[in-house]
Amino acid sequence: MPPDTREMPDEPPPFLGTWRRVYTAVVLYLALLIALCYAFTRAFS
Amino acid sequence: MRPLDWVVLVGSLTTIIAYGLYRGRGSNTVDRYLLAGKSMPWYAMALSIMATQASAITFISTTGQSYVDGMRFVQFYFGMPLAMVVLSATAVPIFHRAKVYTAYEYLENRFDGKTRALASLIFLMQRGLSVGLTFYAPAIVLSIIFGWPDRLTTLIIGITVVVYTVTGGIRTVTWTDVQQMLIILFGLVVALFMIIALLPRQVSFLDAVHLAGSAGKLNAVNFHFDWNDRYNLWSGLIGGMFLALSYFGCDQSQVQRYLTGKSIAQSKLSLLFTAIAKIPMQFFILFIGAMVFVFYIFEPAPLLFQRAEYERIRRPELRARYEPIATQYQDAITRRKEAALAIVEARHSHDGGAESDAVSRYRSAQQGVDAARKQGAGLVQATGGEKGFRDTNYIFLSFVTKYLPAGIVGLVIAVILAATMSSSSGEINSLATVSVVDIYKRHFRKSAPDHHYLTASRVATAFWGAYAVAFAGLGKHLGSLIEAVNIVGSLFYGSLLGVFTLAFFFKRVGGTGAFLGMLAGEAAIFAAFLFTGISFLWYNVIGCLVVIATGLAVSYIWPADGTRVDAGVALQLK
Repeated sequence: MPPDTREMPDEPPPFLGTWRRVYTAVVLYLALLIALCYAFTRAFS
Repeated sequence: MRPLDWVVLVGSLTTIIAYGLYRGRGSNTVDRYLLAGKSMPWYAMALSIMATQASAITFISTTGQSYVDGMRFVQFYFGMPLAMVVLSATAVPIFHRAKVYTAYEYLENRFDGKTRALASLIFLMQRGLSVGLTFYAPAIVLSIIFGWPDRLTTLIIGITVVVYTVTGGIRTVTWTDVQQMLIILFGLVVALFMIIALLPRQVSFLDAVHLAGSAGKLNAVNFHFDWNDRYNLWSGLIGGMFLALSYFGCDQSQVQRYLTGKSIAQSKLSLLFTAIAKIPMQFFILFIGAMVFVFYIFEPAPLLFQRAEYERIRRPELRARYEPIATQYQDAITRRKEAALAIVEARHSHDGGAESDAVSRYRSAQQGVDAARKQGAGLVQATGGEKGFRDTNYIFLSFVTKYLPAGIVGLVIAVILAATMSSSSGEINSLATVSVVDIYKRHFRKSAPDHHYLTASRVATAFWGAYAVAFAGLGKHLGSLIEAVNIVGSLFYGSLLGVFTLAFFFKRVGGTGAFLGMLAGEAAIFAAFLFTGISFLWYNVIGCLVVIATGLAVSYIWPADGTRVDAGVALQLK
């Protein structure tokens, strides 16, 4: 197998500017989902 | 299965595989065969990751689980977005920059050969155990529902998967996964619409949701902490996060998906997209199960959906034990239907008092239904039936085959077979990669031309495919081991996660500390499994923490080799 000479730069994300902001958005999204699931549970139980 | 179902089934699967083979052409080097030449876009990797994770039995069982136990299983996935964030920030750039074919190859860069070998063997053992059952589990369900010979079903699925995986390598596997995932999603949406359309005219969608909720089937979140409760918010967030970290960060069947990315950013996006999509998707599947539950309030539901066992306990010699259960069940489902209709009527007339009264009667009747079904399952096991009998696997398919129209049945069966193929192809492909890269090339033939390893990879893929089909044949003798295999995964993941955590974050730990840490982690997990009642989701946490603690303790006696640490840690600091 020939050695891998490809460069793998860590590009910025296509939205929100930085990866840190993208990660924060995912965590906030999770919090929102849990809140919605809780509201769903309460509303129909 | 009617002619139109066969047309839909064969047509959709043939199209998917043909498309995968077309996209996989030109996989004529090891790099292209195992890593797709690092050319994959994020959406293809994301759908492939989701397709590999969603096996047929997960899909079949999840709907049934919701029917029986409600939607609380969705909490199992709450830890996944957190895990995906951690992996995107650590494992993805580290593995990519290390230019490795497997996650375990990185362990030798960071630690030593024995740690890599142990991790590779743990993966081969754990994944090798489950790959046969990936084929077997849907085959046995289809054999009971349709009467198809399970051996033949396994063989046909197995040969199909092996042919396209051997031929096109990971590029074909990924693009086939994409199509398979799309048909899975399409099939799920169609199934939900059909269920809602089949509800009685006077029962609206909102009524159906209220009926499911009143029976406790929409229990998506439970904040109460309990070590022995498999699914609550905390076990989902913490245990689920550790399980997802292990699965997506240390299991080659998943790592290999995102190593095919054309850039680090594309690989990160694939994981983050999976994080975003997975919980709503699981919620949707579970919701389908809850709606099937509502459907069966108004249609005669059998005491047990597993037809063969149901017919067996109704035989004359068991009638004396069956009849009281059947009478109790019949009474309960009649009362439940009456109460459900009363709830609907009270809701429509906005009569709060009548609704409250009807809900009480409805819940009481539901308890009777649950008790009778439990006794029925108990009778199956007490009279020499299937060990570890789980009726949940048969609920959704029984509904599909009995009530859905021609064409849709074929579509749903195509979804199940697609899920089987997408999971197994990823597993076989990753088992072959680890066998060739971490075992064969590392220990038997260190230097050979590229085409030699390409041939070895194809041979290894064929071997693992044949092994999976052969092992699936033994499935019928394993009884409840199908469920046990899910737990077996948790017996190994914790120590793998621990060793990668040491590699990424603890500079002072060397090869000996990591190796002994893995052994100690395994010992701790097996002790928890054998001697405690702790839910399996926590095994990953326990194993990981023991590996880290042992690795750190040992590192005071055998500190890390500075050269290796520099090489390993530098990867994450670039």
